[in-house]
Amino acid sequence: MTEPVVTQQKFFEQARQGQLTAVRCGRCGALAIPPKQFCPECSQRAWEPTSLSGRGTIASYTVIRVAPRGHAGEVPYAIAAVQLEEGVSMLGRVVDIPLETLAVGLPVRFRPLTYNGQTTVGFGPR
Amino acid sequence: MRRVAVIGVGVTKFGRHERTSAELFAEAAADALADAGLPASAVQALYYGNVVGGETEKQLHTGPQAASVLGIPTVPTTRFETACASSHAAFRHAVMEVGAGVSDVVLVGGAERVLNVTTEESTEYFAYASDARWEQTLGLTFPGVFALVARAHMTRYGTTEEQMAAVAVKNHKHGTLNPKAQFQKEITLEQVLGSARVADPLKLYDCCPFTDGGAAVVIAAEEVARKARRPIWVLGSAAASDWMLLGDKRDLSRIPATERAAAAAYRQAGLGPHDVDVVELHDCFTIAEIVATEGLGLFEPGTGGVAAEKGWTSLGGKIPVNPSGGLKAKGHPIGATGAAQIAEVVTQLRADAGARQVDGARIGLTHTLGGNTATVLVSLFGRD
Ligand SMILES: [Zn+2]
Repeated sequence: MTEPVVTQQKFFEQARQGQLTAVRCGRCGALAIPPKQFCPECSQRAWEPTSLSGRGTIASYTVIRVAPRGHAGEVPYAIAAVQLEEGVSMLGRVVDIPLETLAVGLPVRFRPLTYNGQTTVGFGPR
Repeated sequence: MRRVAVIGVGVTKFGRHERTSAELFAEAAADALADAGLPASAVQALYYGNVVGGETEKQLHTGPQAASVLGIPTVPTTRFETACASSHAAFRHAVMEVGAGVSDVVLVGGAERVLNVTTEESTEYFAYASDARWEQTLGLTFPGVFALVARAHMTRYGTTEEQMAAVAVKNHKHGTLNPKAQFQKEITLEQVLGSARVADPLKLYDCCPFTDGGAAVVIAAEEVARKARRPIWVLGSAAASDWMLLGDKRDLSRIPATERAAAAAYRQAGLGPHDVDVVELHDCFTIAEIVATEGLGLFEPGTGGVAAEKGWTSLGGKIPVNPSGGLKAKGHPIGATGAAQIAEVVTQLRADAGARQVDGARIGLTHTLGGNTATVLVSLFGRD
Protein backbone atom coordinates (compact mmCIF):
# COMPACT_ATOMS: atom_id res chain seq x y z
CA MET A 1 0.00 0.00 0.00
CA THR A 2 2.20 2.78 -1.28
CA GLU A 3 -0.45 5.19 -2.49
CA PRO A 4 0.57 8.69 -1.37
CA VAL A 5 -1.10 10.08 1.74
CA VAL A 6 -1.97 13.23 -0.20
CA THR A 7 -1.92 12.98 -3.99
CA GLN A 8 -1.24 16.01 -6.16
CA GLN A 9 -4.86 15.93 -7.28
CA LYS A 10 -6.07 15.90 -3.66
CA PHE A 11 -3.71 18.77 -2.81
CA PHE A 12 -5.17 20.97 -5.51
CA GLU A 13 -8.76 19.95 -4.66
CA GLN A 14 -8.13 21.21 -1.13
CA ALA A 15 -6.23 24.23 -2.43
CA ARG A 16 -9.33 25.20 -4.42
CA GLN A 17 -11.17 25.36 -1.08
CA GLY A 18 -8.48 27.70 0.25
CA GLN A 19 -6.67 25.03 2.24
CA LEU A 20 -2.90 24.38 2.01
CA THR A 21 -2.20 20.73 2.86
CA ALA A 22 1.20 19.45 3.92
CA VAL A 23 2.30 16.14 5.43
CA ARG A 24 4.11 15.64 8.74
CA CYS A 25 6.38 12.67 9.40
CA GLY A 26 5.02 10.54 12.26
CA ARG A 27 8.56 9.30 12.93
CA CYS A 28 10.75 12.42 12.97
CA GLY A 29 8.27 15.29 12.74
CA ALA A 30 9.59 16.69 9.43
CA LEU A 31 7.08 18.70 7.43
CA ALA A 32 6.80 18.46 3.62
CA ILE A 33 4.87 20.43 1.03
CA PRO A 34 4.11 19.34 -1.59
CA PRO A 35 3.76 15.84 -0.12
CA LYS A 36 6.49 13.30 -0.88
CA GLN A 37 6.57 9.51 -0.84
CA PHE A 38 9.43 9.14 1.66
CA CYS A 39 10.54 11.49 4.41
CA PRO A 40 13.72 13.19 3.15
CA GLU A 41 14.93 13.46 6.77
CA CYS A 42 14.48 9.88 8.05
CA SER A 43 13.54 7.90 4.88
CA GLN A 44 10.44 6.54 6.59
CA ARG A 45 6.92 6.58 5.22
CA ALA A 46 4.80 7.59 8.15
CA TRP A 47 3.10 10.74 6.94
CA GLU A 48 0.02 12.37 8.43
CA PRO A 49 -1.79 15.09 6.48
CA THR A 50 -1.76 18.47 8.17
CA SER A 51 -3.34 21.80 7.30
CA LEU A 52 -1.14 24.88 7.17
CA SER A 53 -2.19 28.39 8.14
CA GLY A 54 -1.34 29.80 4.70
CA ARG A 55 0.52 32.68 6.34
CA GLY A 56 4.08 33.38 5.29
CA THR A 57 6.61 35.98 4.24
CA ILE A 58 8.31 36.61 0.90
CA ALA A 59 11.81 35.06 0.83
CA SER A 60 12.56 36.08 -2.77
CA TYR A 61 10.52 37.43 -5.67
CA THR A 62 10.67 38.43 -9.31
CA VAL A 63 8.47 40.31 -11.73
CA ILE A 64 8.20 38.39 -15.00
CA ARG A 65 8.11 40.67 -18.05
CA VAL A 66 8.89 38.17 -20.82
CA ALA A 67 6.47 35.28 -20.42
CA PRO A 68 6.17 31.82 -21.89
CA ARG A 69 3.56 31.41 -24.63
CA GLY A 70 0.66 30.39 -22.36
CA HIS A 71 1.09 33.39 -20.05
CA ALA A 72 2.02 36.14 -22.52
CA GLY A 73 -1.20 38.09 -21.89
CA GLU A 74 -0.57 38.30 -18.15
CA VAL A 75 2.69 40.31 -17.99
CA PRO A 76 3.95 41.88 -15.84
CA TYR A 77 3.30 39.42 -13.03
CA ALA A 78 5.08 38.53 -9.80
CA ILE A 79 6.26 35.15 -8.58
CA ALA A 80 7.61 34.74 -5.06
CA ALA A 81 9.26 32.08 -2.95
CA VAL A 82 7.25 32.25 0.26
CA GLN A 83 8.48 30.96 3.59
CA LEU A 84 5.39 29.69 5.38
CA GLU A 85 5.17 30.21 9.12
CA GLU A 86 5.37 26.44 9.74
CA GLY A 87 8.88 26.50 8.21
CA VAL A 88 8.38 25.05 4.71
CA SER A 89 8.36 27.18 1.57
CA MET A 90 6.59 27.26 -1.80
CA LEU A 91 6.57 29.25 -5.00
CA GLY A 92 3.40 31.11 -5.88
CA ARG A 93 1.96 33.90 -7.98
CA VAL A 94 1.60 37.15 -6.02
CA VAL A 95 -1.63 39.07 -6.59
CA ASP A 96 -3.28 42.24 -5.25
CA ILE A 97 0.03 43.68 -4.07
CA PRO A 98 1.44 46.59 -6.15
CA LEU A 99 4.57 45.31 -7.91
CA GLU A 100 6.67 48.27 -6.73
CA THR A 101 5.91 47.49 -3.07
CA LEU A 102 7.12 43.88 -3.24
CA ALA A 103 9.92 43.21 -0.78
CA VAL A 104 11.70 40.36 0.93
CA GLY A 105 10.06 39.88 4.32
CA LEU A 106 6.63 41.13 3.20
CA PRO A 107 3.83 39.18 4.93
CA VAL A 108 1.49 37.33 2.55
CA ARG A 109 -1.30 34.79 2.73
CA PHE A 110 -2.14 31.80 0.53
CA ARG A 111 -5.00 31.95 -1.92
CA PRO A 112 -5.92 29.65 -4.79
CA LEU A 113 -5.66 31.06 -8.30
CA THR A 114 -6.69 29.73 -11.68
CA TYR A 115 -4.65 30.14 -14.86
CA ASN A 116 -5.41 28.35 -18.11
CA GLY A 117 -8.06 26.32 -16.27
CA GLN A 118 -5.69 24.98 -13.60
CA THR A 119 -5.63 25.76 -9.90
CA THR A 120 -2.28 27.15 -8.85
CA VAL A 121 -0.69 28.43 -5.67
CA GLY A 122 -1.13 32.14 -5.13
CA PHE A 123 -0.37 34.62 -2.40
CA GLY A 124 -2.08 37.90 -1.61
CA PRO A 125 -1.84 40.47 1.16
CA ARG A 126 -2.36 39.24 4.75
CA MET B 1 39.19 2.74 -13.53
CA ARG B 2 41.46 3.36 -16.51
CA ARG B 3 42.78 6.86 -17.19
CA VAL B 4 40.78 8.71 -19.83
CA ALA B 5 41.81 11.64 -22.03
CA VAL B 6 40.16 14.05 -24.42
CA ILE B 7 42.03 13.66 -27.72
CA GLY B 8 39.91 15.75 -30.08
CA VAL B 9 37.51 18.68 -29.92
CA GLY B 10 35.21 20.45 -32.38
CA VAL B 11 32.70 23.29 -32.09
CA THR B 12 30.52 24.94 -34.75
CA LYS B 13 30.12 28.66 -34.96
CA PHE B 14 27.43 29.58 -32.43
CA GLY B 15 24.48 31.69 -33.54
CA ARG B 16 21.75 31.25 -36.12
CA HIS B 17 21.96 28.33 -38.52
CA GLU B 18 19.68 27.06 -41.27
CA ARG B 19 20.70 23.50 -40.48
CA THR B 20 19.26 20.73 -38.33
CA SER B 21 20.81 19.99 -34.94
CA ALA B 22 22.01 16.64 -36.31
CA GLU B 23 23.87 18.46 -39.10
CA LEU B 24 25.37 20.90 -36.60
CA PHE B 25 26.55 18.03 -34.43
CA ALA B 26 28.01 16.19 -37.43
CA GLU B 27 30.11 19.23 -38.36
CA ALA B 28 31.49 19.51 -34.82
CA ALA B 29 32.08 15.75 -34.65
CA ALA B 30 33.97 15.71 -37.96
CA ASP B 31 36.22 18.48 -36.64
CA ALA B 32 36.75 16.60 -33.36
CA LEU B 33 37.68 13.37 -35.18
CA ALA B 34 40.08 15.24 -37.48
CA ASP B 35 41.63 16.83 -34.40
CA ALA B 36 41.98 13.37 -32.82
CA GLY B 37 43.51 12.00 -36.01
CA LEU B 38 40.96 9.17 -36.06
CA PRO B 39 38.53 7.97 -38.73
CA ALA B 40 34.81 7.90 -37.89
CA SER B 41 35.07 4.08 -37.92
CA ALA B 42 37.18 4.26 -34.73
CA VAL B 43 34.18 5.49 -32.71
CA GLN B 44 32.74 2.74 -30.52
CA ALA B 45 29.84 4.65 -28.93
CA LEU B 46 28.09 8.03 -29.13
CA TYR B 47 26.87 9.85 -26.03
CA TYR B 48 24.68 12.69 -27.22
CA GLY B 49 23.05 15.72 -25.60
CA ASN B 50 19.93 17.33 -27.02
CA VAL B 51 17.13 19.01 -25.09
CA VAL B 52 14.26 20.60 -27.00
CA GLY B 53 14.54 18.65 -30.27
CA GLY B 54 11.09 17.23 -29.60
CA GLU B 55 9.66 20.74 -29.57
CA THR B 56 11.69 22.83 -32.03
CA GLU B 57 12.40 20.12 -34.60
CA LYS B 58 9.60 17.64 -33.79
CA GLN B 59 12.41 15.16 -33.43
CA LEU B 60 12.92 12.53 -30.77
CA HIS B 61 15.46 9.70 -30.98
CA THR B 62 18.07 12.33 -31.78
CA GLY B 63 20.99 10.08 -30.80
CA PRO B 64 20.73 7.61 -33.69
CA GLN B 65 19.67 10.46 -35.97
CA ALA B 66 22.90 12.32 -35.20
CA ALA B 67 24.95 9.12 -35.62
CA SER B 68 23.27 8.44 -38.97
CA VAL B 69 23.89 11.95 -40.31
CA LEU B 70 27.50 11.57 -39.20
CA GLY B 71 27.66 8.24 -41.06
CA ILE B 72 28.25 5.87 -38.12
CA PRO B 73 24.74 4.41 -37.75
CA THR B 74 25.69 1.15 -36.03
CA VAL B 75 27.44 2.44 -32.87
CA PRO B 76 25.51 2.23 -29.60
CA THR B 77 24.00 5.68 -29.11
CA THR B 78 22.16 7.29 -26.22
CA ARG B 79 20.63 10.73 -25.95
CA PHE B 80 21.10 12.42 -22.59
CA GLU B 81 18.71 15.05 -21.30
CA THR B 82 19.57 16.92 -18.11
CA ALA B 83 18.36 20.29 -19.41
CA CYS B 84 21.28 22.63 -20.12
CA ALA B 85 23.80 20.17 -18.65
CA SER B 86 22.93 17.39 -21.13
CA SER B 87 26.20 16.98 -22.99
CA HIS B 88 28.22 17.33 -19.79
CA ALA B 89 26.14 14.48 -18.31
CA ALA B 90 26.78 12.55 -21.53
CA PHE B 91 30.49 13.23 -21.07
CA ARG B 92 30.57 11.91 -17.51
CA HIS B 93 28.88 8.68 -18.56
CA ALA B 94 31.17 8.31 -21.57
CA VAL B 95 34.19 8.72 -19.30
CA MET B 96 32.79 5.94 -17.10
CA GLU B 97 32.33 3.68 -20.16
CA VAL B 98 35.93 4.20 -21.25
CA GLY B 99 37.25 4.14 -17.70
CA ALA B 100 35.48 0.83 -17.08
CA GLY B 101 37.08 -0.73 -20.16
CA VAL B 102 33.86 -1.16 -22.13
CA SER B 103 35.10 1.01 -25.03
CA ASP B 104 38.42 2.59 -25.99
CA VAL B 105 37.19 5.48 -28.15
CA VAL B 106 33.89 7.30 -27.55
CA LEU B 107 32.40 10.35 -29.23
CA VAL B 108 30.56 12.78 -26.93
CA GLY B 109 28.72 15.96 -27.73
CA GLY B 110 25.44 17.62 -28.40
CA ALA B 111 23.55 20.10 -30.50
CA GLU B 112 20.51 22.34 -30.31
CA ARG B 113 18.30 24.23 -32.72
CA VAL B 114 16.06 26.93 -31.21
CA LEU B 115 16.29 30.05 -33.36
CA ASN B 116 13.83 28.50 -35.81
CA VAL B 117 10.98 29.20 -33.34
CA THR B 118 9.75 32.44 -31.72
CA THR B 119 11.12 33.72 -28.39
CA GLU B 120 7.72 33.05 -26.77
CA GLU B 121 7.89 29.43 -27.90
CA SER B 122 11.50 28.86 -26.86
CA THR B 123 10.80 30.56 -23.50
CA GLU B 124 7.98 28.04 -23.01
CA TYR B 125 10.10 25.04 -24.05
CA PHE B 126 13.00 26.01 -21.79
CA ALA B 127 10.52 26.38 -18.91
CA TYR B 128 9.67 22.68 -19.35
CA ALA B 129 12.84 22.09 -17.30
CA SER B 130 10.90 23.33 -14.25
CA ASP B 131 8.03 21.33 -12.74
CA ALA B 132 4.96 21.19 -15.00
CA ARG B 133 2.26 21.23 -12.31
CA TRP B 134 3.84 23.27 -9.53
CA GLU B 135 5.98 25.84 -11.38
CA GLN B 136 5.13 26.08 -15.09
CA THR B 137 1.49 26.76 -14.19
CA LEU B 138 2.68 29.91 -12.39
CA GLY B 139 4.27 31.23 -15.59
CA LEU B 140 7.76 30.70 -14.19
CA THR B 141 10.50 31.21 -16.78
CA PHE B 142 14.17 30.34 -16.87
CA PRO B 143 15.16 33.98 -16.23
CA GLY B 144 12.54 33.93 -13.46
CA VAL B 145 14.33 31.07 -11.69
CA PHE B 146 17.61 32.97 -11.67
CA ALA B 147 15.88 36.22 -10.79
CA LEU B 148 14.73 34.49 -7.58
CA VAL B 149 18.33 33.38 -6.98
CA ALA B 150 19.55 36.92 -7.69
CA ARG B 151 17.10 38.58 -5.29
CA ALA B 152 18.02 36.10 -2.56
CA HIS B 153 21.76 36.70 -3.14
CA MET B 154 21.28 40.48 -3.14
CA THR B 155 19.27 40.29 0.09
CA ARG B 156 21.68 38.01 1.90
CA TYR B 157 25.03 39.39 0.71
CA GLY B 158 24.35 42.85 -0.68
CA THR B 159 25.24 41.83 -4.23
CA THR B 160 24.34 44.63 -6.64
CA GLU B 161 22.94 44.90 -10.14
CA GLU B 162 26.21 46.63 -11.11
CA GLN B 163 28.20 43.59 -9.98
CA MET B 164 25.98 41.32 -12.07
CA ALA B 165 26.38 43.69 -15.02
CA ALA B 166 30.17 43.46 -14.62
CA VAL B 167 29.92 39.74 -15.45
CA ALA B 168 28.16 40.53 -18.73
CA VAL B 169 30.69 43.23 -19.65
CA LYS B 170 33.58 40.86 -18.92
CA ASN B 171 32.15 37.92 -20.86
CA HIS B 172 31.32 40.10 -23.85
CA LYS B 173 34.88 41.37 -23.80
CA HIS B 174 36.17 37.79 -23.77
CA GLY B 175 33.74 36.95 -26.58
CA THR B 176 35.42 39.46 -28.89
CA LEU B 177 38.48 37.16 -28.75
CA ASN B 178 36.55 34.04 -29.78
CA PRO B 179 35.77 33.73 -33.50
CA LYS B 180 33.14 31.03 -32.76
CA ALA B 181 31.19 33.29 -30.35
CA GLN B 182 27.64 34.41 -31.16
CA PHE B 183 28.41 37.96 -29.96
CA GLN B 184 31.77 39.52 -30.69
CA LYS B 185 31.15 43.03 -29.53
CA GLU B 186 31.93 44.76 -26.27
CA ILE B 187 29.13 46.20 -24.16
CA THR B 188 29.20 48.79 -21.39
CA LEU B 189 27.94 48.64 -17.82
CA GLU B 190 25.40 51.33 -18.72
CA GLN B 191 24.08 49.27 -21.64
CA VAL B 192 23.53 46.27 -19.35
CA LEU B 193 21.86 48.34 -16.63
CA GLY B 194 19.68 50.15 -19.17
CA SER B 195 18.60 47.08 -21.14
CA ALA B 196 15.00 45.87 -21.19
CA ARG B 197 13.74 44.16 -18.05
CA VAL B 198 13.13 40.42 -18.47
CA ALA B 199 12.53 39.12 -14.94
CA ASP B 200 13.40 41.69 -12.26
CA PRO B 201 16.18 42.20 -11.25
CA LEU B 202 17.49 40.53 -14.44
CA LYS B 203 17.64 42.54 -17.62
CA LEU B 204 18.19 41.47 -21.21
CA TYR B 205 21.98 41.74 -20.99
CA ASP B 206 22.03 39.66 -17.80
CA CYS B 207 20.71 36.76 -19.89
CA CYS B 208 22.48 34.49 -22.33
CA PRO B 209 20.96 34.36 -25.81
CA PHE B 210 19.07 31.63 -27.60
CA THR B 211 21.58 29.86 -29.83
CA ASP B 212 21.89 27.18 -32.49
CA GLY B 213 25.09 25.16 -32.47
CA GLY B 214 26.90 21.89 -31.94
CA ALA B 215 29.96 20.67 -30.07
CA ALA B 216 31.84 17.39 -29.86
CA VAL B 217 34.80 15.82 -28.09
CA VAL B 218 36.54 12.50 -28.65
CA ILE B 219 37.65 10.67 -25.52
CA ALA B 220 39.96 7.68 -25.37
CA ALA B 221 41.56 5.24 -22.99
CA GLU B 222 45.17 5.91 -21.97
CA GLU B 223 46.62 3.34 -24.39
CA VAL B 224 44.98 5.09 -27.38
CA ALA B 225 45.46 8.57 -25.95
CA ARG B 226 49.23 8.11 -25.60
CA LYS B 227 49.41 7.85 -29.41
CA ALA B 228 47.35 11.03 -29.88
CA ARG B 229 49.09 14.31 -30.52
CA ARG B 230 47.93 16.28 -27.51
CA PRO B 231 45.87 14.35 -24.95
CA ILE B 232 44.29 16.30 -22.12
CA TRP B 233 43.56 14.07 -19.15
CA VAL B 234 40.21 13.84 -17.40
CA LEU B 235 41.15 14.20 -13.72
CA GLY B 236 37.62 14.06 -12.35
CA SER B 237 34.00 14.20 -13.49
CA ALA B 238 31.10 14.37 -11.06
CA ALA B 239 27.37 15.03 -11.04
CA ALA B 240 25.04 16.20 -8.30
CA SER B 241 21.31 16.81 -8.13
CA ASP B 242 18.97 18.79 -5.95
CA TRP B 243 15.26 19.23 -5.30
CA MET B 244 13.29 19.79 -8.48
CA LEU B 245 11.04 22.43 -6.89
CA LEU B 246 12.65 25.74 -5.97
CA GLY B 247 10.23 25.90 -3.04
CA ASP B 248 11.90 22.81 -1.55
CA LYS B 249 15.27 24.54 -1.46
CA ARG B 250 16.18 26.08 1.88
CA ASP B 251 18.38 28.91 0.61
CA LEU B 252 17.99 30.30 -2.89
CA SER B 253 21.21 32.33 -2.61
CA ARG B 254 23.21 29.11 -3.00
CA ILE B 255 23.25 26.25 -5.49
CA PRO B 256 24.12 23.22 -3.35
CA ALA B 257 24.37 20.88 -6.36
CA THR B 258 27.34 22.93 -7.56
CA GLU B 259 28.99 22.60 -4.16
CA ARG B 260 28.44 18.83 -4.07
CA ALA B 261 29.53 18.17 -7.65
CA ALA B 262 32.63 20.33 -7.17
CA ALA B 263 33.57 18.57 -3.92
CA ALA B 264 33.28 15.17 -5.63
CA ALA B 265 35.29 16.24 -8.69
CA TYR B 266 38.05 17.81 -6.57
CA ARG B 267 38.19 14.62 -4.47
CA GLN B 268 38.53 12.41 -7.58
CA ALA B 269 41.32 14.63 -8.91
CA GLY B 270 43.06 15.12 -5.56
CA LEU B 271 42.88 18.85 -6.21
CA GLY B 272 41.27 21.93 -4.69
CA PRO B 273 39.96 25.24 -6.02
CA HIS B 274 43.36 26.90 -5.67
CA ASP B 275 44.90 24.45 -8.15
CA VAL B 276 42.61 25.56 -10.97
CA ASP B 277 44.05 27.89 -13.64
CA VAL B 278 41.11 28.31 -16.02
CA VAL B 279 37.35 27.86 -15.62
CA GLU B 280 34.48 27.55 -18.07
CA LEU B 281 31.30 27.77 -16.01
CA HIS B 282 27.58 28.04 -16.55
CA ASP B 283 26.75 31.74 -16.85
CA CYS B 284 23.26 31.31 -18.28
CA PHE B 285 22.57 34.50 -16.31
CA THR B 286 25.07 36.88 -14.77
CA ILE B 287 24.02 35.93 -11.24
CA ALA B 288 24.61 32.27 -12.15
CA GLU B 289 28.30 33.03 -12.74
CA ILE B 290 28.57 34.82 -9.40
CA VAL B 291 26.94 31.98 -7.45
CA ALA B 292 28.96 29.35 -9.37
CA THR B 293 32.31 31.00 -8.58
CA GLU B 294 31.32 30.77 -4.91
CA GLY B 295 30.00 27.19 -5.13
CA LEU B 296 33.19 26.01 -6.88
CA GLY B 297 35.20 27.44 -3.99
CA LEU B 298 36.99 30.05 -6.11
CA PHE B 299 35.65 32.81 -3.84
CA GLU B 300 34.01 32.90 -0.43
CA PRO B 301 30.19 32.82 -0.33
CA GLY B 302 28.89 36.33 -0.93
CA THR B 303 32.05 37.64 -2.60
CA GLY B 304 31.46 36.44 -6.17
CA GLY B 305 29.99 39.81 -7.12
CA VAL B 306 32.97 41.68 -5.74
CA ALA B 307 35.31 39.35 -7.65
CA ALA B 308 33.55 40.12 -10.93
CA GLU B 309 33.53 43.86 -10.24
CA LYS B 310 37.25 43.92 -9.40
CA GLY B 311 38.22 42.01 -12.54
CA TRP B 312 39.52 38.96 -10.65
CA THR B 313 37.66 36.68 -13.10
CA SER B 314 38.79 38.49 -16.26
CA LEU B 315 41.57 37.29 -18.55
CA GLY B 316 44.73 38.36 -16.72
CA GLY B 317 42.91 38.30 -13.36
CA LYS B 318 43.39 35.97 -10.36
CA ILE B 319 41.33 33.16 -11.92
CA PRO B 320 40.06 33.74 -15.45
CA VAL B 321 36.45 32.60 -15.81
CA ASN B 322 34.84 31.99 -19.19
CA PRO B 323 37.67 33.10 -21.49
CA SER B 324 35.49 31.79 -24.35
CA GLY B 325 32.92 34.51 -23.64
CA GLY B 326 30.81 32.05 -21.67
CA LEU B 327 27.20 31.28 -22.40
CA LYS B 328 26.57 35.02 -22.29
CA ALA B 329 28.65 35.97 -25.35
CA LYS B 330 29.75 32.68 -26.90
CA GLY B 331 26.10 31.54 -26.85
CA HIS B 332 24.13 28.70 -25.28
CA PRO B 333 22.91 25.94 -27.61
CA ILE B 334 21.72 24.05 -24.56
CA GLY B 335 22.38 20.46 -25.66
CA ALA B 336 25.87 21.41 -26.87
CA THR B 337 26.98 23.67 -24.05
CA GLY B 338 28.70 21.14 -21.77
CA ALA B 339 30.77 19.72 -24.63
CA ALA B 340 31.60 23.22 -25.87
CA GLN B 341 32.90 24.17 -22.42
CA ILE B 342 35.08 21.05 -22.37
CA ALA B 343 36.36 21.89 -25.86
CA GLU B 344 37.35 25.37 -24.66
CA VAL B 345 39.19 24.10 -21.57
CA VAL B 346 41.01 21.48 -23.66
CA THR B 347 42.00 24.23 -26.13
CA GLN B 348 43.26 26.34 -23.21
CA LEU B 349 45.28 23.48 -21.70
CA ARG B 350 46.85 22.81 -25.11
CA ALA B 351 47.88 26.51 -25.15
CA ASP B 352 45.95 26.79 -28.39
CA ALA B 353 43.48 29.55 -27.50
CA GLY B 354 45.22 32.42 -29.28
CA ALA B 355 44.19 35.89 -28.12
CA ARG B 356 42.12 34.51 -25.25
CA GLN B 357 44.80 32.13 -23.95
CA VAL B 358 45.20 31.92 -20.17
CA ASP B 359 48.98 31.94 -19.82
CA GLY B 360 50.49 28.77 -18.42
CA ALA B 361 47.14 27.04 -17.75
CA ARG B 362 47.79 23.50 -16.48
CA ILE B 363 44.52 22.62 -14.70
CA GLY B 364 41.08 23.49 -16.07
CA LEU B 365 37.53 23.10 -14.74
CA THR B 366 34.16 22.96 -16.46
CA HIS B 367 30.84 23.48 -14.68
CA THR B 368 27.45 23.00 -16.28
CA LEU B 369 24.09 23.56 -14.63
CA GLY B 370 20.79 22.05 -15.68
CA GLY B 371 17.62 24.11 -15.77
CA ASN B 372 16.25 25.03 -12.38
CA THR B 373 19.56 24.27 -10.55
CA ALA B 374 18.54 20.63 -9.94
CA THR B 375 21.44 19.21 -12.01
CA VAL B 376 25.11 20.21 -11.93
CA LEU B 377 28.17 18.59 -13.48
CA VAL B 378 31.77 19.50 -12.75
CA SER B 379 34.83 18.08 -14.50
CA LEU B 380 38.55 18.70 -14.05
CA PHE B 381 41.20 18.42 -16.74
CA GLY B 382 44.99 18.49 -16.80
CA ARG B 383 47.76 18.37 -19.35
CA ASP B 384 50.80 16.08 -19.25
ZN1 LIG C 1 10.88 11.60 9.00
